[in-house]
This record gives sequence, C-alpha cells and structure tokens, in this order.
Amino acid sequence: MLTVAICGAGGLGRNHAENYAAIPDAEVALVFDVVADAAAALADDLDARATTDEADLWADDIDVVVITTPTPFHADYTIKAAQAGKHIFCEKPMCRTMQQGEAMLQAVADAGVTFMVGHVLRFFPEYVLARDLIQSGEIGQVGVARTSRINTLPGGPNSWFCNYELSGGVTLDMTIHDFDWLLWTLGPARRVYSVGVPERMPPIDYGLTTIRFESGAIAHCEGSWADLGQFRTSFDIAGSAGLLRHDSTQMATLQTQIRGGAEGLAAVQVPESPAVKSPYLLEDEHFVQCVIEGREPAISGDEALAAVEVALAALASNEAGGKVVQL
Amino acid sequence: MTRLAIMSFAHLHSDFYAGAIAGLPEIEIAGVWDDNPQRGEEKAAHYGTRFFATPEELFAPENGIQGAIVTSENVHHKRDVLAAAQAGVHVLCEKPISVSMHDAQVMIDACEQAGVQLMIAFPCRYSPAAQRLMTMVQEGELGEILCIKGTNRGENPGGWFNDPSLAGGGTVIDHTVHVVDVMRTMLGQEVVKVYAEIDTLFDPSLPCDDAGVLTMNFEGGCVATLDASWSRPDNYPTWGDVTMAVIGTGGNAWADLFVEHVDAWRPADGTYLWEPYGHDANADLIADFARCIQTGAPVPITGHDGLKAMEVALGAYRAAETGEPVALPLA
Repeated sequence: MLTVAICGAGGLGRNHAENYAAIPDAEVALVFDVVADAAAALADDLDARATTDEADLWADDIDVVVITTPTPFHADYTIKAAQAGKHIFCEKPMCRTMQQGEAMLQAVADAGVTFMVGHVLRFFPEYVLARDLIQSGEIGQVGVARTSRINTLPGGPNSWFCNYELSGGVTLDMTIHDFDWLLWTLGPARRVYSVGVPERMPPIDYGLTTIRFESGAIAHCEGSWADLGQFRTSFDIAGSAGLLRHDSTQMATLQTQIRGGAEGLAAVQVPESPAVKSPYLLEDEHFVQCVIEGREPAISGDEALAAVEVALAALASNEAGGKVVQL
Repeated sequence: MTRLAIMSFAHLHSDFYAGAIAGLPEIEIAGVWDDNPQRGEEKAAHYGTRFFATPEELFAPENGIQGAIVTSENVHHKRDVLAAAQAGVHVLCEKPISVSMHDAQVMIDACEQAGVQLMIAFPCRYSPAAQRLMTMVQEGELGEILCIKGTNRGENPGGWFNDPSLAGGGTVIDHTVHVVDVMRTMLGQEVVKVYAEIDTLFDPSLPCDDAGVLTMNFEGGCVATLDASWSRPDNYPTWGDVTMAVIGTGGNAWADLFVEHVDAWRPADGTYLWEPYGHDANADLIADFARCIQTGAPVPITGHDGLKAMEVALGAYRAAETGEPVALPLA
C-alpha cells in the first residue's frame, strides 16, 4: 500500500486525489495547501489529514507526493520531495524554466526515486490510436500535423493561470499536451515559430505555433483560452499515404440537456464520452504500478522537459515578435 | 448581353467559369482561344462557341469581345492579359495574378495604359459566409481582431500545377492567395511580415512544394497562420477546404466556406463523397465582372489586390529559403 500526499488542493489536486483513493494499492493520507481551507475541504472529502506545513510532506509515512501546485512551484517541491526519498507525480507543465527542469531531473536521479509528469494525452485512447496508426505506417511519412486545443480561460480572471509569468499562458500550460504528443509520435523537433497574444490575459490568450521536426514533418498547433464554449480538441495528421482526423465535438457518445430557467426553456447542455476508466485514472494507475514495480514510467523526465523546451521556444519566438527558435 | 472570351482552358477553373456563364442569361462566351488548339477546339464545341487560332483573331472587332477570362498556366497570365489589353478588352485573370512582382506590375500598368480594367478571380469574396464574416469584422462585431487561423488545403491538382516553370511554384503559390485576399480585405491591412515552413512532404517525387504553413503579421498587429498544403489524400471526400478561425476581443468566428454537403456512400465503387450544395460564388464573380464592364464601375478585386496576395506567397518562399521571416513589401 502506497501512502500518497497531495501537494496543492486545486482542481487537478482533487482529480488525482479521487483517483488515488479509488486505486486499491494507494491511499491518500495527507493534503497540503498553503490555503488552509482548500487543504481542509479536499482532505475532509477523502478522510485524509490537512496541513499547511510542507514539512508534513516529507514525513516518513509518506511514499508518494503528487504535485499539483501552480507551475513555478513544481521545481521546489519536486526537489525537496526527491531529497526526502519520495516518489513524485508532477502535473504538466513540468516547470516554468529549463534551469528548474534540469535541477529537478538531477534531484530525482540523485535520489533514485520514480518521477513522472502528467502528460495525460498518452492515456487518451484517440491519441494513442493515432500514434499507433502513424507508427505502423498507415499514413506513410507525416507531412503536416495540425492540432487544436480550445478552452475558456481557466480559473477565472484572477487565477494564477492568467499570470503569464507564473503559467506561461495557454502555450506552456495547455498546448504543451500537443507538443508532448507530437514529440512522442514524430520524434525530436528542430525549430519553432509562434505567434500569440498572452498579453491580452485576461480575458484572452491564444497561440499558433509551427514546429519543424527532424523527420521533416511540419506541425501547426492551435491553443486557445479565448473560447466561450465547450472544451474541445482536434487533430488532422496528413501523411504521404493517408490522413487521420479526429474532432472531439463529433465523438460525444452521450449528450444531455437539463431543463431549467423560469419557463423551463433555458438548458444546461453537456456532451461527454463516458469511459470505464478516465485517462487521468489510467495515468495514476500506471504511475502506481511503476512505483510498486520500480519501473521507469512511460513518460520520462527527459521527455517532459523536451516538451517544456518546445513550449518555451514558442514563448520566446512570440516574445521576440516573430523569431525562428532553433532547438 | 456581355460578350466574354476565354483565353486557355489550362486552369481547371475555366470549366467552372464557363459552366457558370451557361446559367447567366445576360452573358455569353463569344469565343475561345487556347495555345493548345485541340483543347481549345474541343472546349469551344462543348460550350457552343467558336475557337480562334490566335488572340488577334479572337479580338477582331467583328467578334465584339468585351471581356476576357484568362485561365492559362500562371506564367502565361502576363502574355494573355497583355494581348487582351492591347485589344482594348477588359480582363478577369485567374489567381495568382502572376509568378513575379515584375510581371504583375507590367500587367497592371499595361491594363491601365490601355484603359481596360483588370480584375482578379478571387471567388471567395463572393462566398456568403466570407461576406458575412468580412462585414462582421469591418463593423467591429468581433472587436479588435487579434488572430486568424486559416486553411486552404486540397488534393494535389497534378499536371502543370506541379511544374514550377509553368506554375511559378507548387502548393504555396497555388493556395496562399485566396485566404490572404479575404484576410487583407476584411482587416483593411497589409501583411508586413511572413514566415513559412515549406517542403515536398506528401509526394517526394514532385519537382515542387506540396506542404506549406505560413505565419503572417498584419500592419495593425493581427497575427495569422495559413495552411496552404496539398495535404488532402486522393480519396478525400471533397476537393479540400477554405476555413478561417477569427479571434477578436469581442468574440470569435469560424468560417468553413465549402462545408455544405450531403454525405454520399456508394458501395458499388467503394466511394464516400461529399455531394456539395450552396451558393455558386463563381457565377457571382463572373456576373460582377460583366456588371463592371457594362456600367464602367471599378472592379472590386483589382490587379493590385492580386499583386499583394501573390507577394505574400513569394515572401513565404523567400522565408523558407532563408529560414528567417521576411519583411513585406518585398524589396
């Protein structure tokens, strides 16, 4: 039985905590947050202890620390957790700067602990299937790969997501999912060019990033925190021998309308694709198995840092007003 | 009645225009010339008109030609536009206007000196969805426009489109100009910088590019990308697409100009196809050209518009060659 501590009681902290509570080989014993009410609210729901003292995370009875803080704090908590001998699950993006990431990798290597970053697309069946089809040659050599990831501004205008210095905006925080999937699928990237408007946060961030891969493939990634509708994703991967396309809005296996409003005419509409196990649960199960068996997780620290490198290159390209950033 | 001529059936759009004219009672195809006489004879017979062996014979006064539709290979646009201008005939020229800034300027100047109008065939201007989008943007319904994501993807048309000595390039010269024209029209701004990744990725045996992703900065600060690739496979259910996602401070809009279709499966030959419906923008384009001939009104899509759209494609090629963004206008 692994004893898990949640470090950061926000939305993803709750998501992972509920998953670990459901995994037979794990239990959530501790919830840490600098905001006492947030820690207490999540801890109460899980019958765990709440704390605002980070030293509790490094106590002997904790095996695993799940880091779900704002991005700039990932490095500090990861390094301290590694030094305390804890296995670490860290949400994406792995870090805010390359220096942070390199220090994190050094710390986990020195400590010999298991470390995995939450690039959950690796557990989304449509992205796994598309990668399998590409790698088995179904569409030949990939020519142009287009991805889209579209959301409303997360957390509201006062959240840390809207602070570019903290979050890196939509490109580092969200489009990085697609960067990781593309690197995993197409191999190393060569150069990056990106335009966007993070200075418009709140209420708008939007970025368009072009990546050239060593394979020759061109990728174009849209990330939007400018949207006013449902979260959605899509990809269109064109190769020399075929085309793969997916649009999440077309794949909802269940759509629900709940009648509401004074005349019963207003409605809440929810499209969903219920899964027996969510990609987040599959991701957490994989991590638990890796810790128990002492295996290297499917997402290595080097891969997670490579995705950060592409995202930071995109930010640098945009900050320079249009500059080709070589990797 | 407006009497139009068609100069060359090399470009596949010539059949779209000729077909559209068949449904326009006030316009007739009064003659055809083609540097491929066999093709010209066949098309003239098909559309119930006369084939002429030379542009001079085509434009002889007794034929009463008022306007010429130039649908030759891109490099021959200059030759044919100059022939029409010298005969005092207005011109509707297929896109791209040409393959070099110099040739395009020669064409514009020749038409001006001859006192004839030069219009460029950008039918997307007549798409009801594009018109509604352009109006929304111009009237500020979306606030300040921050970003545009465009696509004009298609199947590789093959033939001379794959011969840079006739087309002036590959997919980027072919597919950049439609969307750039809509973008610069709705913003009322020019592109001041372009970067592009361009290569031959879908059919490595081609002598031209078939993949191109452009990034553009407009003078007012709007940034845009355009996927101009021949990236649709041969059995794609339609020819391709023209799409734009427009992100503004006041809202967002998505246009997909050719999405209207009925899905059609035919088990006999294993095909799945889009059966398209919707407005025929080609007919509006031709009718508007005829209106300008009849009334003397200035054409809404000028040679300058054609030149500025082509310039973005030429800048994209230069960016891909140098690996650096290119400032526009081109020096």
